[in-house]
Amino acid sequence: MRTIAWLAGVGTLLAGVFYMVVSLNRWEWNRALFFGLIVLIAEIALATGLVLRRLSRLEHNLKGPADADVVQILRETRPTRDRFAWMRESSGQLNVFITFLVGGGVLLSGIAWIVDRVASKTSSPAGEERLARQLYPISYPAGGLLLDDITVLAQDVPGADDRQIRQLLRRGGRP
Amino acid sequence: MTKLSPVKLAFGTVGLAVGIVGVLALREATLSTHEAVDARQVELVVDARSAGGEPSQTLAEMVEAHLLTCRLEVTSDLAGPIESLGDGRFRAVFEPAMDETNRRQFRGCVEDFIVDHLQINVLELNDLD
Repeated sequence: MRTIAWLAGVGTLLAGVFYMVVSLNRWEWNRALFFGLIVLIAEIALATGLVLRRLSRLEHNLKGPADADVVQILRETRPTRDRFAWMRESSGQLNVFITFLVGGGVLLSGIAWIVDRVASKTSSPAGEERLARQLYPISYPAGGLLLDDITVLAQDVPGADDRQIRQLLRRGGRP
Repeated sequence: MTKLSPVKLAFGTVGLAVGIVGVLALREATLSTHEAVDARQVELVVDARSAGGEPSQTLAEMVEAHLLTCRLEVTSDLAGPIESLGDGRFRAVFEPAMDETNRRQFRGCVEDFIVDHLQINVLELNDLD
């Protein structure tokens, strides 16, 4: 059965190539494309079959008994694992953890310096003037707010000092 | 590096030579080389068969569509209506006549898969006058 399948695949490939060349020679482009497609399909099928056959051979070889000497050598040369060797103190080499810590600190300091420099540039004289213009519509009127005499007299009372009322009084021309 | 045996080397050389000759021959066969021809017209007689086509489409319509498509690939046009000779055979005259390259190209197109469910075989492709 397997031989028949291989023969069918090879036969299809050869026939497809033959008719493709014949069609090209006769200027029959659509036929040539059709047979070229057949060739491509047969080629992929044969290549897949070859790869699978090689893989099955490898699997067959792996199923045999292992060489005892080789197994012994592999066991003897098995490397020992020490997963926390980096935590052990050593005076002869730099610890990678410390290296990362220091490096990270330097990196963060640099980023903070850049942020500080950028933030300091956001406040400029022109910006302050623009902010003052924007605040003007909500500022107190030039003549001051109307203050009744009771409020004014109340500021003279000891302990009744209100900073905001005094500011209003100053704007209104009162001491 | 693996050393090649003389037999494998010989087979490889022969295969390479056959491949190169084949490609060159195919190139020669599909190369367009136009030349002047003495004849004025060319006569085409074809045998057409249709299977599984649309019931409302006649064989004559399908042949006409096929030939009108193929005449776009050459410098010739239909010089008259396509005549039905009966039994699936049709005759058409094209003008001007075709040189050897155009003749091969036109024959290839007529016998190619152009219109679905239609198979045309060229019976005659001869010069007139």
